[in-house]
Amino acid sequence: MSATKRNVRVFRYDPAVGGDGGFRDYTLEVENASAMTMLDVLLHIQREQDPTIAFRFACRVAMCGSCGMVINGRERLACKTNVSDLPPSEDITLRPMNHFPVIKDLVVDMDPMFNKFRETLSFFEPKEQLTEPARIAPDAPEREEIRLATDCIACGCCVSSCTMVDHHPDYAGPAALARAYALIADSRDGLFQERLAAALPSCHECRTETNCTEVCPKGISPTRAIKYIQRTALVQLEVTPKEAEVEETEAPPARWEVDRATFIRGAGVAVIGAAVAVTLGSVAAITTVGPTESAAAEEWVSVGRIADLPQGKVTTVLLNYEARSGIYSQTISKPVMISRLSDEIICYKTACPHLGCTVHFENQSDEFRCACHGGTFDRSGSVIAGPPPRALDRYRHKIEGDQLLVLI
Amino acid sequence: MTQSVKADLLIVGMGAAASMAALYALDANPDLNILIVTKALKGKGGCSRMVQGGFNVVLHPMDSHEKHFMDTLKGGQYINKQDLAYTLVTEATATIKEMETRFGCFFDRNPDGTIHQKPFAGQSYDRTVHKGDLTGIEIMSRLTEQVIKRGIPVLEETRAVDLLLDESGKTVTGALLFDMRRGDFLVAEAGATLVATGGGPTQYRFHAPGPEKSVDGLGMLYRAGAVMMDMEMVQFHPTGLIIPGSVVAGALLEEGLRGAGAYLFNGNGERYMLNYAPDVAERATRDVVSRSSYIEMTSGRATPEGGVYIQASHLGPEFVLKNFPGMAERCRQFGYDLARGRVPISPTAHFVMGGAAVDLNGQSSLEKLFVAGEDAGGVHGANRLGGNGICESCVLGRQVGKALSKHLHNGNRALATTRKDQVKETADRLLRPFTRDSGPSPFDLRKRIKEMNWNKVGVVRDGPHLTEALAEIDAIADEASRMRVSGGRNYNMMYTAAVDLLSMIDVSRMVATSALAREETRGAHSRSDFPKQRDDYGLFNSNLRRGSDGKPVIEKTPVAFTRKSLEECQNYRKG
Repeated sequence: MSATKRNVRVFRYDPAVGGDGGFRDYTLEVENASAMTMLDVLLHIQREQDPTIAFRFACRVAMCGSCGMVINGRERLACKTNVSDLPPSEDITLRPMNHFPVIKDLVVDMDPMFNKFRETLSFFEPKEQLTEPARIAPDAPEREEIRLATDCIACGCCVSSCTMVDHHPDYAGPAALARAYALIADSRDGLFQERLAAALPSCHECRTETNCTEVCPKGISPTRAIKYIQRTALVQLEVTPKEAEVEETEAPPARWEVDRATFIRGAGVAVIGAAVAVTLGSVAAITTVGPTESAAAEEWVSVGRIADLPQGKVTTVLLNYEARSGIYSQTISKPVMISRLSDEIICYKTACPHLGCTVHFENQSDEFRCACHGGTFDRSGSVIAGPPPRALDRYRHKIEGDQLLVLI
Repeated sequence: MTQSVKADLLIVGMGAAASMAALYALDANPDLNILIVTKALKGKGGCSRMVQGGFNVVLHPMDSHEKHFMDTLKGGQYINKQDLAYTLVTEATATIKEMETRFGCFFDRNPDGTIHQKPFAGQSYDRTVHKGDLTGIEIMSRLTEQVIKRGIPVLEETRAVDLLLDESGKTVTGALLFDMRRGDFLVAEAGATLVATGGGPTQYRFHAPGPEKSVDGLGMLYRAGAVMMDMEMVQFHPTGLIIPGSVVAGALLEEGLRGAGAYLFNGNGERYMLNYAPDVAERATRDVVSRSSYIEMTSGRATPEGGVYIQASHLGPEFVLKNFPGMAERCRQFGYDLARGRVPISPTAHFVMGGAAVDLNGQSSLEKLFVAGEDAGGVHGANRLGGNGICESCVLGRQVGKALSKHLHNGNRALATTRKDQVKETADRLLRPFTRDSGPSPFDLRKRIKEMNWNKVGVVRDGPHLTEALAEIDAIADEASRMRVSGGRNYNMMYTAAVDLLSMIDVSRMVATSALAREETRGAHSRSDFPKQRDDYGLFNSNLRRGSDGKPVIEKTPVAFTRKSLEECQNYRKG
């Protein structure tokens, strides 16, 4: 078998650099296209050409659902897709899944999907305290219904492929609904009415495009599950659905709120020194915010009262605001440098235009400086020394009453 | 500068053992503040999820705990910790029922609606509960769901790099964590720490566990000074796929194929198992088949791919496709036709029987340190039965979870004080690869240690090769101390490989040391210079701990025959 050359385009985005990311091209010698997976392609590139490339995998045999990505325009598992599955005439194009925040390159944060599982009560809640497993024949209709959905490995391919996920923030999405249906059909489960009520509104958002069903690497049809939930609800949903009690009885609401970000910020985190807090806050924000195919719209965020920003100084303010993008929203902490050195207020980004390190203003020298590579900017943000390719980036701002707002 | 978090219970890992422990500890004591940290995403890493076959458990009146117990001791060639094995088999029954009734697992059924159990090697009764050939997905999906339901905080892609100790070095105070996404350390201190990362011997050329595994738990337990036992016992599964150049190499073709009557052939087209085990041929136990295949491969009778062949086509293509659809598909992805042709395979590193020495509560030799799952040793002895692995994780994870809730309830929640400077020293040392301008690549060293272990500490071992291996491990360790990693710290996979390698080095050293000290062949441990099992010599456990020079110190302790005598074990199902 002779080796062939394939051009591989990989989406690269590094929060430490910032920006919107973009594709980088690699050329790869492929010895045996029918025995080389996309995971192998990435490992070869990483080991032979570019060790900084980031992607995710665990089991490498389609059991864990960690390596979902968009391969030549379609959601697939990298470990289950071979080079020979893609037409030789095409480039191989790899990019992160849609709708999820990008952590780095092809790696996305999948918590938004897990949160949807919680919202649709997509977990088993026993109907009664049994000591013996329920007797259910293998050919019972209920078993057939459940079997279809329990092969799910929560890879997120269906969520990424669904265009509706982007349009309805409350939409639970195909993965959570497929699981919800399996539980609704499960006679052992005790949350039938509550879950039906929790899942039904989302089902109305589905436009039956069947993208989810087409891309599922396990052959599951969330579309079918969604339609079955609607049908079941027509027949069986009680007109005044009972309130879901599980939140109160099973876990205090506070616990439900705990996710990675809040845990780091909240529960028992001891941070030494206020200066450190600012640094960590910005790092945490940077690593969880990345471009997705559905980048959040710009919005005006309040900086605070103008009177609190001293004249003749540059003040760094940490903005905390809620940003929504498709199926998830997150609290973002972003530092902004507000210059009142002259009469004009200027709002600068703290990221150095060179490689994204943090720039600060030095009062003694009256200059903005970047500690990484010595980039230096004058009072108006223009480059006066070092490698930065352009002046400091600015945010648009406006004044409303006594408040300063910036467009983020 | 390092952020810190505090919890009553810190759980390192999120496979079946870790999740079960978290669920049972919290349900018994809802006030507990539990923190789970995992190197992967929630419930997605590790080997529990990759379980194909199933879960051994006594459910039928014709079966008995006595039989399951004796099968387990027989499989372990009598050096199991008997009390632990007894707990395993007796508690398995309640455990599997609770997994169905409390957590919603839904295993395959018999026509009458009761739970179906299938046959597995080395069992006197068909007792393996399963869901198709994807049992691990069902178990881990349901357990993960329950963890999410309870709102137990999980730090994803946050790996523990070392356990933290107090000034005396006898009490574990928590763990130093590395947040792989941000590329920064985090100190976690807890009233009790449970290590349940799973083993996953990926330090060999061929390995069944996913390449994200790297024996981290075993490495950190050893470095902390915990007593480790029977580390020479590494199981090789006989039928791992050979796929030249692919990371999928080593992935399993399930045991059931041989059970159903598949043949194995060497490169000359001979059914060699007829020579090694004339009575049962390919249906011999994992250790015997792996050893036989390895001998063929290293005696000039390998296939062009460097292994042997498995053939199932004579069973009929329809039979193969109907009964092994997942395996047929796995082969098809790489151009092999399981139903109609021969598929190249090799023994593949599969499971670590050894691990931390623990009592029935999972308590290790160090205070406030508990261990469950593959990181713990003793229950399987010298070899593990198929179906006893996920059983161990779930059953003993449940036991340890219950024990921890009691332990923490009884006034043991207080945090001990971590030795001054440990965090800084460890973090500084671990970050050095980022600061160097040149040095060996962790990718290269990882490849080297895998080849070295495969050739010298692998399926068949001997004294001279093991001695060479120990010297080579030292050389690799020396190079590893000069590694260089390029790029930034956030989500740096080269750095992940570097930290993985450090665990592999420690574990390789433990395995080689213990293997050299056991001068016999027993279970998974095979010595060509001592090819016989020696019951007049080998009825000991190899207890090992880190000596003052950093090298393992080994102490042999006689097996405690607390429930069954040696004679009872030897006479069980003889011949």
